[in-house]
Amino acid sequence: MSAFLDSDLPLETVCRARSGAADAQEAIYRAFQRPVRTLARRLVPRSAQAEDLAQDVFVEVLQSLGQFDGRGSFAGWVRAITVRKCLMHLRSPWHRGLRWFEALVPAEPGSLPQEAAVAVDGEMVDLQRALAQLGDTARIVVWLHDVEGYTHAEIGALLGGTASLSKSQLGRAHARLRELLDPDGVKNSCMPASTNC
Amino acid sequence: MHARIDELLSLRDGAPVDARVRAHVNHCAECAAALAGTATVRDQLRALPSAPEPAWDGWIELQSRVAQRHERRRRLAWIAPFAATASVAALAVFAALRGFDTPSQPASRPEPRSVLETQSVDALRARSQALEELLAALPERPSVARAATSVPIESLEAEVQWLDHQLSIAGADAAAPGTERLWRDRVEVMNSLVQLRYVEAQHVAL
Repeated sequence: MSAFLDSDLPLETVCRARSGAADAQEAIYRAFQRPVRTLARRLVPRSAQAEDLAQDVFVEVLQSLGQFDGRGSFAGWVRAITVRKCLMHLRSPWHRGLRWFEALVPAEPGSLPQEAAVAVDGEMVDLQRALAQLGDTARIVVWLHDVEGYTHAEIGALLGGTASLSKSQLGRAHARLRELLDPDGVKNSCMPASTNC
Repeated sequence: MHARIDELLSLRDGAPVDARVRAHVNHCAECAAALAGTATVRDQLRALPSAPEPAWDGWIELQSRVAQRHERRRRLAWIAPFAATASVAALAVFAALRGFDTPSQPASRPEPRSVLETQSVDALRARSQALEELLAALPERPSVARAATSVPIESLEAEVQWLDHQLSIAGADAAAPGTERLWRDRVEVMNSLVQLRYVEAQHVAL
């Protein structure tokens, strides 16, 4: 589940950070650096960019503390800023240009496009590789829906579309993950993976 | 007829699904296996490890980043009045030069209000979404683009990002001050973006 669910802080710490207390600001960073970096790494294919974005998220969090009104959870507020930052990055012409360039120069066979530093067992490596190979929109939708627990309506609004856009992208993402994780199973299936089960 | 992937995902998530589809999945081994597969993938995604601890102390780096941002803002705050004065002076010179050959408009004449001026935040948001869908329906951008369309498209895209960022700061509160203005700007920018992308797509087709 979302790593943000395990991380929250007392409102008092947030109030002290808002008034400029350095120890409270550091407490916010220490409490949320891992969930923010994890989410950024899942949404943004290149880990170096994801780490840079995560730091930018904290700059914004610390500078916008005055706008947190305390109505929802602080963790949810930080997560929303992280998602927005990542989406802005993925929509940037710079990132799209990079994706186009990467399509021209394919990665070496066997190299893990993302998360090279994360030591996990074989199945997890396959899944991480498959996730990194999804298109940006499909990866965003599958992660936000299946892991972070966003609704289709919320994801649709984030992508500037409707719930149907999110549903169709989730279907495509699962079909593609299935193709990548079990190519033989898809070949032997009587149904095309992209449209049917 | 087997269940579609979106129907299986709806079943997995407990969303409403046609009773015939539900009955089919209960009796079809392939569909039941595919349904279980979607749940397995979701569970595996949730079980993926968190990002590893960085080798460097991010808090120290963050402090210097915040300080740099403050410094940049301080400089901008210092430069902004000069820049604004220069812009006003340039506009005044331009207006004076133009004023010699165009008759002046009566001061009391009201500015025409655009259709967008009268729309609510919800209507603007819906229109913005419709434009996003229109944009998504256009073909992919060409790998080699014309500078005449590519540069304005990229600057409009950057403007949409900036507006999205401002809207994210404003939050979901439609009554928040400035929200309506931001949505109106977004619709206008998206309108221009769709038109330019359409022109670009037509050039590619030709």
